[in-house]
Amino acid sequence: MESIDSKCTPLKHEFDACFTRWYSEKFLQGDKTNECEEAFKKYQTCLRAALKEKGLTKMIGEARPTVGSAFADDDGDDGGSKGSK
Amino acid sequence: MRLFEATHVFKYDWATVSLANWRKYPSEKTPHVRHVEVLNQEVDPVTGVLRTERLIMVCQNVPALVRKVFGGDTSYVLEYSEVDPNQQTLVMQSQNLTFSNLLTVGEHITYRPHPENAAHTTFTQSAQLKASGALFRLANRIEDMCWNRFNDNAHVGRLGLELALSRILAERQAMVQAPQ
Repeated sequence: MESIDSKCTPLKHEFDACFTRWYSEKFLQGDKTNECEEAFKKYQTCLRAALKEKGLTKMIGEARPTVGSAFADDDGDDGGSKGSK
Repeated sequence: MRLFEATHVFKYDWATVSLANWRKYPSEKTPHVRHVEVLNQEVDPVTGVLRTERLIMVCQNVPALVRKVFGGDTSYVLEYSEVDPNQQTLVMQSQNLTFSNLLTVGEHITYRPHPENAAHTTFTQSAQLKASGALFRLANRIEDMCWNRFNDNAHVGRLGLELALSRILAERQAMVQAPQ
Protein backbone atom coordinates (compact mmCIF):
# COMPACT_ATOMS: atom_id res chain seq x y z
CA MET A 1 0.00 0.00 0.00
CA GLU A 2 1.30 3.41 -1.02
CA SER A 3 1.91 6.17 1.49
CA ILE A 4 -0.11 9.40 1.36
CA ASP A 5 3.10 10.97 0.08
CA SER A 6 4.85 8.77 -2.50
CA LYS A 7 8.22 9.95 -1.14
CA CYS A 8 7.47 8.03 2.07
CA THR A 9 6.33 4.80 0.37
CA PRO A 10 9.68 2.93 0.42
CA LEU A 11 10.14 3.82 4.11
CA LYS A 12 6.58 2.77 4.87
CA HIS A 13 7.06 -0.58 3.12
CA GLU A 14 10.25 -1.20 5.06
CA PHE A 15 8.49 -0.47 8.34
CA ASP A 16 5.34 -2.48 7.46
CA ALA A 17 7.44 -5.54 6.59
CA CYS A 18 9.44 -5.20 9.80
CA PHE A 19 6.31 -4.73 11.89
CA THR A 20 4.35 -7.75 10.66
CA ARG A 21 7.40 -9.98 11.10
CA TRP A 22 8.12 -8.61 14.58
CA TYR A 23 4.44 -8.80 15.61
CA SER A 24 4.06 -12.48 14.81
CA GLU A 25 7.55 -13.74 15.64
CA LYS A 26 8.37 -11.66 18.71
CA PHE A 27 5.56 -9.58 20.17
CA LEU A 28 2.95 -12.34 20.30
CA GLN A 29 5.58 -14.62 21.85
CA GLY A 30 6.05 -12.18 24.73
CA ASP A 31 9.17 -10.35 23.54
CA LYS A 32 8.72 -6.64 24.22
CA THR A 33 11.82 -5.30 22.45
CA ASN A 34 10.74 -3.15 19.57
CA GLU A 35 12.96 -4.13 16.68
CA CYS A 36 11.33 -1.79 14.21
CA GLU A 37 12.02 1.44 16.02
CA GLU A 38 14.69 2.59 13.60
CA ALA A 39 12.59 1.85 10.52
CA PHE A 40 9.66 3.55 12.19
CA LYS A 41 11.58 6.74 13.00
CA LYS A 42 12.65 7.16 9.38
CA TYR A 43 9.13 6.55 8.11
CA GLN A 44 7.64 8.82 10.74
CA THR A 45 9.94 11.74 9.94
CA CYS A 46 8.88 11.55 6.32
CA LEU A 47 5.20 11.07 7.15
CA ARG A 48 5.02 13.92 9.67
CA ALA A 49 6.35 16.37 7.10
CA ALA A 50 3.74 15.13 4.62
CA LEU A 51 0.89 15.48 7.14
CA LYS A 52 2.04 18.98 8.01
CA GLU A 53 2.10 19.91 4.34
CA LYS A 54 -1.46 18.62 3.92
CA GLY A 55 -2.59 20.52 7.01
CA LEU A 56 -3.70 17.37 8.86
CA THR A 57 -1.61 17.66 12.02
CA LYS A 58 -4.05 19.90 13.88
CA MET A 59 -7.10 17.78 12.98
CA ILE A 60 -5.33 14.66 14.22
CA GLY A 61 -4.38 16.34 17.50
CA GLU A 62 -7.95 17.47 18.10
CA ALA A 63 -9.43 14.02 17.47
CA ARG A 64 -7.04 12.16 19.79
CA PRO A 65 -9.20 12.39 22.94
CA THR A 66 -12.25 11.01 21.09
CA VAL A 67 -10.43 7.76 20.30
CA GLY A 68 -8.72 7.52 23.69
CA SER A 69 -5.23 8.15 22.37
CA ALA A 70 -2.64 9.64 24.70
CA PHE A 71 -0.09 10.17 21.93
CA ALA A 72 1.07 13.68 21.09
CA ASP A 73 3.21 15.16 18.37
CA ASP A 74 6.54 16.57 19.46
CA ASP A 75 6.27 19.51 17.15
CA GLY A 76 2.63 20.35 17.73
CA ASP A 77 1.29 22.72 15.10
CA ASP A 78 0.72 22.80 11.39
CA GLY A 79 3.07 25.71 10.99
CA GLY A 80 0.56 27.66 8.96
CA SER A 81 -0.15 30.55 11.25
CA LYS A 82 3.27 31.33 12.62
CA GLY A 83 6.12 33.26 11.07
CA SER A 84 6.19 35.42 8.00
CA LYS A 85 5.55 34.27 4.48
CA MET B 1 -28.28 9.21 16.15
CA ARG B 2 -27.99 5.70 14.78
CA LEU B 3 -26.24 2.73 16.28
CA PHE B 4 -24.55 -0.06 14.38
CA GLU B 5 -23.73 -3.30 16.14
CA ALA B 6 -22.30 -6.56 14.84
CA THR B 7 -20.52 -9.64 16.11
CA HIS B 8 -18.74 -12.33 14.20
CA VAL B 9 -16.77 -15.45 15.05
CA PHE B 10 -13.59 -16.07 13.05
CA LYS B 11 -12.62 -19.72 12.99
CA TYR B 12 -8.98 -19.03 13.83
CA ASP B 13 -7.15 -18.42 17.08
CA TRP B 14 -6.74 -14.89 18.44
CA ALA B 15 -3.02 -14.57 17.61
CA THR B 16 -3.65 -15.35 13.94
CA VAL B 17 -6.69 -13.08 13.71
CA SER B 18 -4.87 -10.20 15.39
CA LEU B 19 -2.03 -10.59 12.87
CA ALA B 20 -4.55 -10.62 10.02
CA ASN B 21 -5.97 -7.38 11.38
CA TRP B 22 -2.61 -5.69 10.73
CA ARG B 23 -2.38 -7.25 7.29
CA LYS B 24 -5.93 -6.47 6.20
CA TYR B 25 -4.98 -3.61 3.84
CA PRO B 26 -4.46 -3.26 0.95
CA SER B 27 -7.18 -5.61 -0.20
CA GLU B 28 -9.27 -6.04 -3.31
CA LYS B 29 -12.22 -6.42 -0.92
CA THR B 30 -11.82 -2.89 0.40
CA PRO B 31 -10.65 -0.66 -2.45
CA HIS B 32 -12.15 2.39 -0.71
CA VAL B 33 -9.36 2.20 1.88
CA ARG B 34 -6.60 4.02 0.02
CA HIS B 35 -3.94 4.71 2.61
CA VAL B 36 -3.16 3.44 6.10
CA GLU B 37 -0.39 5.27 7.91
CA VAL B 38 1.06 4.50 11.33
CA LEU B 39 1.32 7.80 13.18
CA ASN B 40 2.58 6.55 16.52
CA GLN B 41 3.44 3.22 18.06
CA GLU B 42 4.91 2.01 21.35
CA VAL B 43 5.10 -1.01 23.59
CA ASP B 44 4.39 -0.31 27.25
CA PRO B 45 7.55 -1.50 29.03
CA VAL B 46 5.58 -2.57 32.12
CA THR B 47 2.37 -4.11 30.77
CA GLY B 48 3.66 -5.17 27.34
CA VAL B 49 0.63 -3.57 25.67
CA LEU B 50 1.19 -2.41 22.09
CA ARG B 51 -0.36 0.99 21.42
CA THR B 52 -0.81 2.16 17.85
CA GLU B 53 -2.26 5.21 16.26
CA ARG B 54 -3.13 5.10 12.55
CA LEU B 55 -4.48 7.50 9.99
CA ILE B 56 -6.73 5.94 7.38
CA MET B 57 -7.67 7.66 4.15
CA VAL B 58 -10.94 6.48 2.66
CA CYS B 59 -12.24 7.40 -0.77
CA GLN B 60 -15.48 6.03 -2.08
CA ASN B 61 -18.32 6.77 -4.40
CA VAL B 62 -21.08 8.54 -2.57
CA PRO B 63 -24.47 9.75 -3.80
CA ALA B 64 -24.39 13.19 -5.43
CA LEU B 65 -26.34 14.71 -2.55
CA VAL B 66 -23.78 13.55 -0.03
CA ARG B 67 -20.90 14.77 -2.17
CA LYS B 68 -22.58 18.15 -2.47
CA VAL B 69 -23.23 18.49 1.24
CA PHE B 70 -19.83 17.21 2.32
CA GLY B 71 -17.85 18.82 -0.47
CA GLY B 72 -16.01 15.66 -1.50
CA ASP B 73 -15.67 11.93 -1.14
CA THR B 74 -12.26 11.66 0.50
CA SER B 75 -12.13 11.41 4.24
CA TYR B 76 -9.63 10.73 6.98
CA VAL B 77 -10.16 8.53 10.02
CA LEU B 78 -8.06 8.41 13.17
CA GLU B 79 -7.75 5.00 14.79
CA TYR B 80 -6.21 4.12 18.15
CA SER B 81 -5.64 0.55 19.24
CA GLU B 82 -4.26 -1.45 22.13
CA VAL B 83 -3.11 -5.04 21.88
CA ASP B 84 -2.63 -6.90 25.15
CA PRO B 85 -0.79 -10.14 24.34
CA ASN B 86 -1.26 -11.49 27.86
CA GLN B 87 -5.01 -10.92 28.09
CA GLN B 88 -5.33 -11.64 24.35
CA THR B 89 -7.36 -8.60 23.52
CA LEU B 90 -7.20 -6.22 20.60
CA VAL B 91 -9.29 -3.09 21.07
CA MET B 92 -9.63 -0.39 18.43
CA GLN B 93 -11.41 2.90 18.50
CA SER B 94 -11.81 5.26 15.57
CA GLN B 95 -13.38 8.54 14.61
CA ASN B 96 -13.67 10.47 11.38
CA LEU B 97 -11.55 13.64 11.13
CA THR B 98 -13.06 15.03 7.96
CA PHE B 99 -16.65 16.34 7.95
CA SER B 100 -16.85 15.85 11.70
CA ASN B 101 -18.68 19.18 12.02
CA LEU B 102 -21.49 17.59 9.97
CA LEU B 103 -21.39 13.94 10.88
CA THR B 104 -19.45 11.92 13.42
CA VAL B 105 -18.86 8.21 13.13
CA GLY B 106 -17.26 6.70 16.21
CA GLU B 107 -16.40 3.03 15.95
CA HIS B 108 -15.33 0.52 18.58
CA ILE B 109 -13.93 -2.91 17.75
CA THR B 110 -12.67 -5.78 19.89
CA TYR B 111 -11.09 -9.14 19.10
CA ARG B 112 -10.99 -11.69 21.93
CA PRO B 113 -10.69 -15.46 22.14
CA HIS B 114 -14.11 -17.09 21.94
CA PRO B 115 -15.22 -17.79 25.54
CA GLU B 116 -16.09 -21.42 24.77
CA ASN B 117 -13.55 -22.21 22.11
CA ALA B 118 -10.07 -20.72 22.36
CA ALA B 119 -9.34 -21.82 18.79
CA HIS B 120 -11.86 -19.24 17.59
CA THR B 121 -11.99 -15.47 17.90
CA THR B 122 -14.96 -13.26 18.69
CA PHE B 123 -15.11 -9.97 16.86
CA THR B 124 -17.45 -7.25 18.10
CA GLN B 125 -18.07 -3.98 16.35
CA SER B 126 -20.20 -1.04 17.34
CA ALA B 127 -20.54 2.41 15.87
CA GLN B 128 -22.41 5.57 16.64
CA LEU B 129 -23.44 7.74 13.69
CA LYS B 130 -24.54 11.25 14.45
CA ALA B 131 -25.45 14.04 12.05
CA SER B 132 -25.27 17.52 13.43
CA GLY B 133 -24.89 21.21 12.65
CA ALA B 134 -26.04 22.20 9.18
CA LEU B 135 -27.35 18.69 8.57
CA PHE B 136 -29.71 18.76 11.52
CA ARG B 137 -32.87 18.91 9.40
CA LEU B 138 -31.59 16.15 7.13
CA ALA B 139 -30.21 14.16 10.05
CA ASN B 140 -32.45 11.11 9.69
CA ARG B 141 -31.85 10.74 5.97
CA ILE B 142 -28.11 11.29 6.21
CA GLU B 143 -27.80 8.92 9.17
CA ASP B 144 -29.79 6.22 7.38
CA MET B 145 -27.67 6.58 4.27
CA CYS B 146 -24.46 6.47 6.27
CA TRP B 147 -25.68 3.53 8.31
CA ASN B 148 -26.30 1.57 5.10
CA ARG B 149 -22.87 2.48 3.80
CA PHE B 150 -21.31 1.54 7.14
CA ASN B 151 -23.11 -1.80 7.04
CA ASP B 152 -21.77 -2.49 3.52
CA ASN B 153 -18.25 -1.51 4.57
CA ALA B 154 -18.45 -3.67 7.69
CA HIS B 155 -19.37 -6.63 5.49
CA VAL B 156 -16.51 -6.15 3.02
CA GLY B 157 -14.20 -5.41 5.96
CA ARG B 158 -14.91 -8.90 7.35
CA LEU B 159 -14.29 -10.40 3.92
CA GLY B 160 -11.00 -8.47 3.83
CA LEU B 161 -9.99 -9.97 7.15
CA GLU B 162 -10.91 -13.48 5.95
CA LEU B 163 -8.74 -12.89 2.90
CA ALA B 164 -5.80 -11.76 5.06
CA LEU B 165 -6.30 -14.91 7.18
CA SER B 166 -6.21 -17.17 4.15
CA ARG B 167 -3.00 -15.48 2.95
CA ILE B 168 -1.35 -16.05 6.33
CA LEU B 169 -2.41 -19.69 6.30
CA ALA B 170 -1.11 -20.20 2.76
CA GLU B 171 2.24 -18.73 3.80
CA ARG B 172 2.44 -21.02 6.83
CA GLN B 173 1.63 -24.00 4.66
CA ALA B 174 4.34 -23.01 2.18
CA MET B 175 6.85 -22.68 5.01
CA VAL B 176 6.04 -26.14 6.34
CA GLN B 177 6.33 -27.68 2.89
CA ALA B 178 9.51 -25.85 1.87
CA PRO B 179 12.71 -27.92 2.21
CA GLN B 180 14.86 -26.68 5.09
